[in-house]
Amino acid sequence: MAKWWVVWGGGTLGICVRFLLVVMGSLSLLDRRVEVVSPVTSLSRLAEGYWLKEYGKSPYAGSAYHGSPLLLSLIGPVIGDRQDTSIGYLLCSCSLFVVADLMSALLLRSTGKLLEHGHSKHLQLLGLTNLLREKTDRKDKLGIGDISFLVYLFNPFTIAVCVGGSTSSIENMLIILSLYGAAAGKVPLAGFGWAMATHLSMYPVFLIIPIYYLLTNGLDSPPNKLFELAKSVEPAAKEDSCHGKDANDSYLQSSKSSSKGLQTTPMLSSRRKWVVISKLVFWSAISWVCILRLCKVALLGRSSLITMWLETHKYMLTVDDLTPNLGLFWYFFTEVFDFFRNFFLMVFHANIAFMVPPLTIRLRHRPIFLAFILTAICSMIKSYPTVGDAALYIGLMALCVHELSELKYFYLLLNGYILISVLGPVMYNLWIFRGTGNANFYFATNLVYATLQTVLIVESVSTVIGYDKHLLKEIKLHSSNKSSQLHPKSMEVSA
Amino acid sequence: MGVVSWRASALLSWLMLLPMLFAEVGAAPTWTKHTNNWAVLVCTSRYWFNYRHMANTLSLYRTVKRLGIPDDHIILMLADDVACNARNARPAQVDYRGYEVTVENFLRVLTGRHDAAVPRSKRLLSDEGSNILLYMTGHGGDEFLKFQDSEEIQSRDLADAFAQMHEKRRYKELLVMVDTCQAATLHSQLYSPGILAVGSSLKGENSYSHHLDADVGVSVVDRFTYYTLQFFENLDIHSNATLESLFKSYSPSLLMSHMDYRADLFPRTLDKVLVTDFFGSVMGIKHTEAAYVGFTGRYEELLNPQKAPSLAAVNEPVFEAPREKDQVLEDEEDLNVEKIRHRLLAADNDLPVLVGLLALAAAVTVSSIAFPGA
Repeated sequence: MAKWWVVWGGGTLGICVRFLLVVMGSLSLLDRRVEVVSPVTSLSRLAEGYWLKEYGKSPYAGSAYHGSPLLLSLIGPVIGDRQDTSIGYLLCSCSLFVVADLMSALLLRSTGKLLEHGHSKHLQLLGLTNLLREKTDRKDKLGIGDISFLVYLFNPFTIAVCVGGSTSSIENMLIILSLYGAAAGKVPLAGFGWAMATHLSMYPVFLIIPIYYLLTNGLDSPPNKLFELAKSVEPAAKEDSCHGKDANDSYLQSSKSSSKGLQTTPMLSSRRKWVVISKLVFWSAISWVCILRLCKVALLGRSSLITMWLETHKYMLTVDDLTPNLGLFWYFFTEVFDFFRNFFLMVFHANIAFMVPPLTIRLRHRPIFLAFILTAICSMIKSYPTVGDAALYIGLMALCVHELSELKYFYLLLNGYILISVLGPVMYNLWIFRGTGNANFYFATNLVYATLQTVLIVESVSTVIGYDKHLLKEIKLHSSNKSSQLHPKSMEVSA
Repeated sequence: MGVVSWRASALLSWLMLLPMLFAEVGAAPTWTKHTNNWAVLVCTSRYWFNYRHMANTLSLYRTVKRLGIPDDHIILMLADDVACNARNARPAQVDYRGYEVTVENFLRVLTGRHDAAVPRSKRLLSDEGSNILLYMTGHGGDEFLKFQDSEEIQSRDLADAFAQMHEKRRYKELLVMVDTCQAATLHSQLYSPGILAVGSSLKGENSYSHHLDADVGVSVVDRFTYYTLQFFENLDIHSNATLESLFKSYSPSLLMSHMDYRADLFPRTLDKVLVTDFFGSVMGIKHTEAAYVGFTGRYEELLNPQKAPSLAAVNEPVFEAPREKDQVLEDEEDLNVEKIRHRLLAADNDLPVLVGLLALAAAVTVSSIAFPGA
């Protein structure tokens, strides 16, 4: 349900909180925190690259800037040289990121509304209206769209990267834009969002898979065999006087092949699927061509696209910068011999790549959840992670609250995240500034963070699979109830 | 045949000259660019009653740091460390302290002949583009300077050390400032080019302390150093004051001795030498795109045999006057300014990129709204 106060009230409060923090000087505080900014998202490096460009040199000279030239043209003129501390300048410079955050939250909300709609339809289709009724009994309950809106906007991690001098807000917005476009069936948005997100940071390339499944298979839904099972007991349900009308309407409605989000057929027809794929490819290609052309224009001939690729994507692949951050690479690569460096780089990146196919096979009926899991894995094993990545996947997680309502160890995870937020900077301070600790102190908190993320990913996947199994059980229970009602004599116990 | 033999003999004579170029006995008539500044500040006396010598050195250290020379380009030798107390809010980076301040270590610093284990912070890592300020204070006399009450360095030793530095190309210009009794005698034996030597008093004169502090109980600064520092207090890093004005600012009546300087070995006239050439660290910076290839003085001569010096030129002990710093900058600046101006005018390329991005976003949005469904 459209809760207007969620959007207006929450949105205004979110904007006010961000502006207030910026005015109070959070930029100078958070700009130096390694958890918030990374070498590829840092705004001070962007200012440096912009100054180099203004001076007539390549923005990648001197290994200062490692982002996209488009961001230079977009954000460079706004932030200038960052020496100004007047309130007007501060508000102006962060307004772009606040707008990006707000847009991400609104897009999440729209995706959530679509998901909610689909969720209720699916439960009706499966004949599990008792589960549905439990969830919509309270009229003022927030839908998952509103929940994810609030979770994303008021997540301290999101606020930190918004006001802390990082370009993560824009990257997150593009990822969420692509997921929304795919969820709503708007192929141009999906293709453009994916292309821009991959251009800015390399890892969203894996999101093409959830986008593809969203466009061809539709939104998150229980596995197809459940629908087939439900269909086989459907004729019995039609005669049920209590739910007859609802079930009839929904069944008739969903059998139309034009409705995308309400699938009963396992997939679109082959022809429609190829149409969708070709549209996706077309729009992605157009976006890539435009992006690369604009990059070439933005670089003004002082640097080539090859240099750009070397300094952005290859920089992330080869982990040239070993300053400590939230990830696992830096500590490891300070010790690795050069002979093995390439091998271990391949191992680390293959770790992400090899996890994608099995997860895809198992979770292709739930693309949004798959997107959450893939972003969480990327955030754990990427070269320069920040809390901005955590902000993204927590926002996507909020879209799946129905399935994740049984998540175990939630209390542990919540407190673990709070603990890491406090302990990480403390250990960093002990190590770098006071000299009473060493790198192991800080890396220990990194390991704890990685463990928490692993627990989150593993438990989420098992919870969702358990939810599907629970639905299967419910359907079978339902069908056995119905068959026992209609045929009281044959009391078969269905397996 | 005759032509061939002429060329052969010319080539042979040039080849014979080659080792001479590398040996560099005597003068080395090449011009190098001034690229960095070093300071070697030495206080040679210890014990509480020589507080003023340490205070001299430390206040000059502060001045030199304020005018821009970084800590890693300063070698500070203090025979008694008052500055390194842990409670000192801004401790000095003393490289040689206490009993490490010996004549041997001092000469090793100057000549660069260290044991392999000596850390970099204790080495004078100057090169042929360095201007070095050498300031020494303590007790001295006729042609000697006393180190730690137990040994002394003589003016000939100092002159020979400078000659080694010159041969090893460890300085471009050297300013030696000595604040001791009969300081000018220490400079009497110098013979290497590029040295400007300043002493606080002549032979037979003493250098006096300036004032004493009632709390400390001893004199806290010497007159020569005091008036030097007073001159520098009014300057900042961009000052145009010259050595000529510095030397003119000393008055014998206030110093109670006659300040003497020796500029016969120094190539430039004193009214053209900025004090920041030695006491600070200000250099013209030129932006280049090409890699830094170092100093081009000698290499050009090597590459172009026509420009090889004749034997007569090698034997002359005087080297050619270097081009003025400003003139050099102007020549090369003209070439680069045009390029930079051209680039700066074309630097504003943000608008087309933004327009392109917005157009792409608009196209995407419009097509997604106008053609719903897939």
